[in-house]
Amino acid sequence: MTATHAPAPVELDVIPALPPAPEPPRRGRVVLVGTLLMITAGVMLFGGLLAGYFSARDVARAAGEAWPAEETVLPNVPLFMAYLTLLMSSVTAQWSVSAIASGDRRSMYVAIGLTLVLGLAFVNALSFSWGALGLAAGANSYASTVYAVTVTHLLVVIAAHVGFVVVGFRALGGQFSPRNRDLVAAAAAFWHFTTLIGLVIWYCLWFLEGGP
Amino acid sequence: MTVTEARPAAGAADPQPAAPGTRAGGASWLSTSDHKDIGRLYLLTALVFLVVSAVGFVALGVERLGDGLQVFDAEAFTQVSALVREAAVLLFVVPFFLGLATYLVPLQVGAPDIAFARGSATAYWAYLFGGVTLLAAYAARGGFEGSSNIATDLYLLSMIVLTLATVVALVSVLTTVLTLRVPGMTMLRTPLFSWSVLVGGGVMLLTAPVLTARLIELFIAHHFSGELGGPGNYRLISWFWSVPTATLLVVPAAGVAAEVVPVLTRSRLRHHHAGMVVLGALALFGFGAWAQVEDRLDDLLYVAVGLAAVLPALALLGVLGDAARRGRVVRQAPLLMALGAVVHLVLGALAGAVLAIPALDLRGTAWEAGQFEALIFGAGVLGAYAALWYWAPKLWGVQLGGGSGTAAFFFGFWGAALLAVSDLASGLLSDQALLATAFRGESLGPVLNGAAAVGAAMVALGAVLVTGVIMARSARLEGRRADDDPWGGNTLEWATASPPPPGNFAGPLPLVRSPYPLVDVGADDDLGHDAAATHLAGSRP
Repeated sequence: MTATHAPAPVELDVIPALPPAPEPPRRGRVVLVGTLLMITAGVMLFGGLLAGYFSARDVARAAGEAWPAEETVLPNVPLFMAYLTLLMSSVTAQWSVSAIASGDRRSMYVAIGLTLVLGLAFVNALSFSWGALGLAAGANSYASTVYAVTVTHLLVVIAAHVGFVVVGFRALGGQFSPRNRDLVAAAAAFWHFTTLIGLVIWYCLWFLEGGP
Repeated sequence: MTVTEARPAAGAADPQPAAPGTRAGGASWLSTSDHKDIGRLYLLTALVFLVVSAVGFVALGVERLGDGLQVFDAEAFTQVSALVREAAVLLFVVPFFLGLATYLVPLQVGAPDIAFARGSATAYWAYLFGGVTLLAAYAARGGFEGSSNIATDLYLLSMIVLTLATVVALVSVLTTVLTLRVPGMTMLRTPLFSWSVLVGGGVMLLTAPVLTARLIELFIAHHFSGELGGPGNYRLISWFWSVPTATLLVVPAAGVAAEVVPVLTRSRLRHHHAGMVVLGALALFGFGAWAQVEDRLDDLLYVAVGLAAVLPALALLGVLGDAARRGRVVRQAPLLMALGAVVHLVLGALAGAVLAIPALDLRGTAWEAGQFEALIFGAGVLGAYAALWYWAPKLWGVQLGGGSGTAAFFFGFWGAALLAVSDLASGLLSDQALLATAFRGESLGPVLNGAAAVGAAMVALGAVLVTGVIMARSARLEGRRADDDPWGGNTLEWATASPPPPGNFAGPLPLVRSPYPLVDVGADDDLGHDAAATHLAGSRP
């Protein structure tokens, strides 16, 4: 038997030269691909939630019901400000990537800090909007589907916060450089995803239903 | 070029890693981030849940022996009927193959570790927590039609946790296949099991979040209003294991068969790419997130997808049959199990095609249950058994016994066949409803119900046997030490020690130039021997 891949001691010395495995892929690419896959799953999650929302709307309208209920008053201004804040946070998130790409650590710290602050402002504004909406969850299918979409989005935004906090601490620890910035880029990509989803939600749930 | 003078005898230089049963303490399992440990934990846990599901099927089978309800009351019967299906899918089939992929994919692609080891560990613990919570919720009379509001909330939350855990584990495995393949292993040279995980897992990554979305909506509606919209709304969840998604669940089982059959028949697929196309088509036709509501089930698309799914199943049978015909069939347990899984896959796909035809009006009858059983308890369970027996040398460093393997095949194959065919016939001949609580007493009804009960009992016996064998192996009581490559495998996991050392590979790997890297190594041998032929002819123990 010729030695092929069994570990038998015989004839092993005649196995031809094996080219060594080159360096494994950089960890950064792994993180980026993983983030993109997670974003893909997130797109399907919100696609499913919005499909549920529109499906419920069609059912309600087919039954001759108002959608949203006539007494519901959408807090358009706070909602607009909330999602505008989220959009601004995406700008600062990208700023953090650009800053580290050019080796400007100080700007990166500022950008990460601003991103987190703007993100928290969005959370605050959305919570305020829920209060202003005055709609009890479960009161009707409009309320259930709206809260399903927006609460899930809020949780994803909080998850993005966690990612940016980790990036912030690592940045303070001096981990990133112009050549090693993939984790910052991945965190920013996820942040952009939450912003994009936020804008879609604003358009579908608020703007289409009588927003500004 | 760096020259390696001798192929490293995998694991020979390094001390063998501690076997699972010999760890310093049980606490090390809690904090492990070794993909091999996580994979083993997944497999063991999934097998335990399989036993739970199979025993539930036996209880339902006993219930169906009479004319009405003898064992359960009406609520319990409905709850158990739902639980056993949910457990079979979300607690066994999906996590089992996720666990197998967590263990095996890094080895197959030549990676030292999985992409996100801590992510995989988190996913496992979330799966365990979600699974136990799901059972607890049912025990507290939760479930979709449960009478306890709190327990039903718990049920929905546990399902959300399970689907999220699936997504996290999938991201880790898919990233490994996409980014950590050894140089030379192009996508088209990926081993077929890893490929099946990539295509099946990729489609699952698009599917599971949609189920999560439905569960979130249902949770909010139920938690705040106490309403779930009636039994008809269960379709918002059960589409996940109905046509066409049910086929997607067993794509990794098809991948296992595509690995096992060529190796154990001392052959090769005539066209590796054909196998990849077949597995890809099986996954593609399994995308069913759009078919959640009854209205969609009369669409032409639904019928077309249901019918189309038969083609890749038959093609897989043809591709593997061709390989077996050109090789030398030796009756070994993993081969029997793999072929049995493919037969059940074809049966399930055919039953799904018939189910998708609206004119036959088989939806909501026992035919639907039979289709589920052929795919999950036939293809899924036998694929899982085949993987355990085939990769046991890598998983536990032993070869599992042929006798227990043959017994597991017997109970698994014939039990699932009896169960599925009986229910298919009940649906077709007796028009018995899927969740009937008053069973047909006329004509063939009692015979078919009895046969289904016997089939369920055989499946349960097989599950108990296999779980016992694996538990015993984990406690180091069963099995004999295995060589590093006892089957003469073609792929990289057989180039390392059994079980693999930390870091998976003790030395450099060969440059991969085909889907069969270990055969290539033999072919490079300049002794003048036809090493590849020798390899394929086999020199098995």
